[in-house]
Amino acid sequence: MPLFGELELATIARDLPKMRDLDTEAWELPKAEILQLACEIADGSRALLPRALHPAIPEYVTFVVSRYPESPVGSFDLAQVRLMARAGVHPRGYVLGAVASTAGAAAELSELWGYPAVPGEIALRQYHDRVAASVRREGQTILELALVDPEIVSGGDLQYIHGVTLARVDGAVQLIQVDPHYTLHKAVRGRAHVSRFEPAAWNAATIRLTTPISASASTSDTDLPRIRFVMDPETPVVRGTRKVR
Amino acid sequence: MKFGLFYELSVPRPWTRESERTVYDNALEQVKLADELGFDQVWAVEHHFLEEYSHCPAPELFLTACAMVTKKIRVGFGIVVCVPEFNHPIKIAERTAVLDILSGGRVDVGTGRSATWTELAGFNAKPDITKKSWDEFVRCLPRMWTSEKFEFEGEFWSMPRRTILPKVYQRPHPPMWVAVTSPGTELDAADRGLGSLGLTFGQFAEQEKRIAEYRRRIQLCEPVGEFVNDQVSTVNFLYCHEDDAAALKTGRQMANHFNYLAAQLMSVRETYPSKSYPSLGLLPQLRRQATGPEASEQAGEGLCLGGPERVTRALKRWEACGVDRVNFLINTAESIPQADVLASLRLFGKEVMPAFNGSKA
Repeated sequence: MPLFGELELATIARDLPKMRDLDTEAWELPKAEILQLACEIADGSRALLPRALHPAIPEYVTFVVSRYPESPVGSFDLAQVRLMARAGVHPRGYVLGAVASTAGAAAELSELWGYPAVPGEIALRQYHDRVAASVRREGQTILELALVDPEIVSGGDLQYIHGVTLARVDGAVQLIQVDPHYTLHKAVRGRAHVSRFEPAAWNAATIRLTTPISASASTSDTDLPRIRFVMDPETPVVRGTRKVR
Repeated sequence: MKFGLFYELSVPRPWTRESERTVYDNALEQVKLADELGFDQVWAVEHHFLEEYSHCPAPELFLTACAMVTKKIRVGFGIVVCVPEFNHPIKIAERTAVLDILSGGRVDVGTGRSATWTELAGFNAKPDITKKSWDEFVRCLPRMWTSEKFEFEGEFWSMPRRTILPKVYQRPHPPMWVAVTSPGTELDAADRGLGSLGLTFGQFAEQEKRIAEYRRRIQLCEPVGEFVNDQVSTVNFLYCHEDDAAALKTGRQMANHFNYLAAQLMSVRETYPSKSYPSLGLLPQLRRQATGPEASEQAGEGLCLGGPERVTRALKRWEACGVDRVNFLINTAESIPQADVLASLRLFGKEVMPAFNGSKA
């Protein structure tokens, strides 16, 4: 059998987001801008990955910085660091850490979808030769990255992998699948460049970046959907998945 | 219709000193039996770094061992990676020629370009240009095998005038194939006069359409070699047992196991947006087709899992679709005991093969 995650749930259970319930209503998020970078990482991430999930081969993370100009809580930006994994046979991005640009958005994302979101400052800027983003919290830059030398690609060339959060809901710790839809209007790809990454600020203390893979940026209409599946974090998903709706 | 075996050589964890050796030894024993039963071909992949899924980075060595313990069965590269960072084309020409000599002219050469970031990045190869380098390689190989002296100046490699030795034993040269996973690659094969080495499972209607287009297109080809190889081969699982239900259960477990291991790897498309990889590629397709919702019948559409009658029925459907050859995965990660794998092969040889033309009864 493939390797599994080795996260000791007890070490983080206290700090996990607390969701209201699993009856989250969907948010429509039109005209979203999404910058995504993928980077291979050194061995050692399994200690961060719930036992229900398998690490990707090779292990890698994605950084996703999004701007949502319209949402039920107004305009906000969201930055995520995701440890890429497999839930059974499906690729998934396990959200290690998240920063939202408003306190309201952070609270809602945490309570509705289980994002470990905290408020911070996010900048996402497009230049002729790069798409750059940075994230600051408590006066410190905790992430600074860019897509360099953008070239236009078809929206069909991009693949956005669904996310998984870990949260306390209905009295138990559960993995929550977050599987947005995307209608892509514009897409570019380029080289990935990470100039600053503070792993501890993203609940990712053992993550060490090694090889950049790729970067993409897009404009799309997307959403944060209703929750369809939850998983027991301690049981392989083949046995531990529950369909919510 | 002809039949072959297809080897990924998957090695389950936990790995011990003996585990890889056991997998190779078992495979050789299976190939030896398959040769005796009248199977036509054995294929071995070239994969690198694909933990558990495939520990077969040097197919020429495994195939040489196969050739040495068999008499008739053909030995096929399924495939050799035609990307310069993986294999220099001179070395491909030399290695295939040596194996062709040692095997007495039993080599088939499947060509391809890798579909995983795991492998391409491991060799620091650029996904965007693998199709172009593959094209350059397949146009050179037949000339390298057949010309007394050869020189070349291309986009991806060059060489001054030299005699590439040894020459292949088969005349004019071994049959050449292309690994076909993404829709459309079968047309690349047809345009070059190359055989279609299908590496996806299931879906009769879809395959039938693609085969028909391949057949039409290859009539108009400009062959890269000295002859046109217009054969269509596909891959399938095989587990055959007198007890249909038991065979289905065991076979499904094997297919699931394969599916599961394949899913752990990182396809190019998962992380690297590129026009060169417009579809999911082999591994995610296998993931969906082997056991997914598309597998509409109990055994999955067209999978050769079950009693002899069910397996024969599935193969007849493939034959009607226009498939010339079916290559079988007969185990995954040693999930089926070796004795049962051998029994499955024997039963297939006795009860199924006689139902097909050109196969040994």
